[in-house]
Amino acid sequence: MPKSDSPVPDLSVPFAGLTLQSPIVLLSGCVGFGEEYTRVEGFSNKDVGAVILKGTTLEPRMGNAPHRVYETPSGMLNAIGLQNPGTRYVIDNILPNLPHSETQFWANANGTSLEEYAEIAAIFDDSPVTAIEINISCPNVKEGGVHFGNDPVMAGKVVEAMRPMTKKPLITKLSPNNADIAETARHCIEAGTDGLSVINTLVGMAVDIESRKPIIGNISGGLSGPAIKPVALWKIHQTRAVAAKHNIPILGQGGITSGKDAIEFAITGSDAIGVGTGLFYDPLLCGKILEELRDYLSKHNMESYQELVGTLQS
Amino acid sequence: MTPQRNTIFEESAEILANVHHPGDQFVMRVKAPKTAATAEPGQFVHLQVSDERPMRRPISIMLTDPEKGTVDLLVKAIGEGTRLLRERKVGETMPILGPIGRPFDLSDHSKRYVLIGGGVGIPPMIFCAMHLIDKASTVVFAGSEVEFPFALKPSTALLPGVGGNTILGITSLEERGITSRLASNAGFYGCYEGHVPDLARDYLLALNEEERSRCVLLSCGPHPMLHAVARVGRELGLPTYLSLEEHMACAIGGCAGCVVKTVEEGEEKYRRVCVDGPVFEASLLPEFA
Repeated sequence: MPKSDSPVPDLSVPFAGLTLQSPIVLLSGCVGFGEEYTRVEGFSNKDVGAVILKGTTLEPRMGNAPHRVYETPSGMLNAIGLQNPGTRYVIDNILPNLPHSETQFWANANGTSLEEYAEIAAIFDDSPVTAIEINISCPNVKEGGVHFGNDPVMAGKVVEAMRPMTKKPLITKLSPNNADIAETARHCIEAGTDGLSVINTLVGMAVDIESRKPIIGNISGGLSGPAIKPVALWKIHQTRAVAAKHNIPILGQGGITSGKDAIEFAITGSDAIGVGTGLFYDPLLCGKILEELRDYLSKHNMESYQELVGTLQS
Repeated sequence: MTPQRNTIFEESAEILANVHHPGDQFVMRVKAPKTAATAEPGQFVHLQVSDERPMRRPISIMLTDPEKGTVDLLVKAIGEGTRLLRERKVGETMPILGPIGRPFDLSDHSKRYVLIGGGVGIPPMIFCAMHLIDKASTVVFAGSEVEFPFALKPSTALLPGVGGNTILGITSLEERGITSRLASNAGFYGCYEGHVPDLARDYLLALNEEERSRCVLLSCGPHPMLHAVARVGRELGLPTYLSLEEHMACAIGGCAGCVVKTVEEGEEKYRRVCVDGPVFEASLLPEFA
């Protein structure tokens, strides 16, 4: 039993040279350009350590034709196709209006070539984002994206191209769709990534039996939600075996919809935990996760979230 | 544009009534005081149909009672989610997020609002009509191929261009002084035999030019019906606003999952149905232009 005078557990976490006020990070593609969820009464930016902005490309992108989302058993498919107004617009028109005193905002960079990735890094280097997530695993665009993420050597080259262009922490988002996630992680670490996001969505599709057409406009989409949670945990477990040796933190994600899920991700080795699809079901999920985390840590006599990370027993 | 904070509410809504109607339709009354107090016609709620479904369902608001804190919804059970919703019992609660979306613009009271609804697209038209009572001239045309889930009565007001057998209106509207007429291809007594946009067109064509030029068309319903309404608007040169639906995930503008293509100043864009809509001017939508 916890002592009645035990202090409130510390939920702030160090991550890739930053200090996050909460271990929860809102994931790219789920929260627009940072302010959308503040429409909801009771949602607070202060409950999250960082908000990762919608995937941004050098030039504006319209995104894919609808339908872009579809419910599947215990999850959903999406194929948005990186709809965004371009890096320059984000810097000039979006970032100046974000409440940087309430939480941190990270960019999510997407290129079609190594040169583009490098240029995006250089542009975001001179901006108020505190980190840049590298998206080498978007399954929903025809060029770039997952084509870099599926090849461990190419993944490393993307990090290598961006590394000299910015002093901000680089966090590489890994695809679960490739054969050896640990090998990709190793290449990214050697190329200078400061953190790893594990995992992006799994590629899937859905069919309408009346029209006999794919339901998603892009044919395939990324599967997210509770359906992928066991895959995510396993991929984090595999990645941690490499990342821990180099003190590279993991932003674990994939189907978290409760405090219990978050605790499982922490135990498996998530230095921070990402929430995305879970918000669609419950926009006030973050506050609930934090409450459950505090209760759990107190009950187990732990002083901080950090103490729980990577405590998986063999 | 920075979103307005704290304008959407997550409430645990008690189901006060769930009345089933023919054609898999059901009318649900839920207690959601914050949504009821602030909702405007054209807005919708996003609700958890059951603990088992990972995605919510967007449902148009039919009517609110801000004093009693209630919200009325008309739904048709067409997929697994709406079927689960239909089976929910009075006394149960469900999480409901609302009110969401850009409402219809009903601010110009010199206009005559011609409201055209089809099936489960009728609810926003009822909400608009109730909002316009004692404010602006309003007429409602509603179409359905299954039995109307409302009490109906003969309308006491004459409408130009509307034939002798087309006599029934929606009781709740008629009693508040709003003239309405119904259309169906199912041969229902007292209804115009045909599609509801054709009924609205007959009415508009029978107006004199001055009256017609003051009309604004507002519509919600199945896509073929919206196409026909947009055609009528184009033919008669009338401003036309359509309320759309699309598969939706977050419903607050975060995921860009629920988009529709627009052309604005010559530039193609995908706009979010949830927060940029669900109401769009028809002339901006290439699908309906």
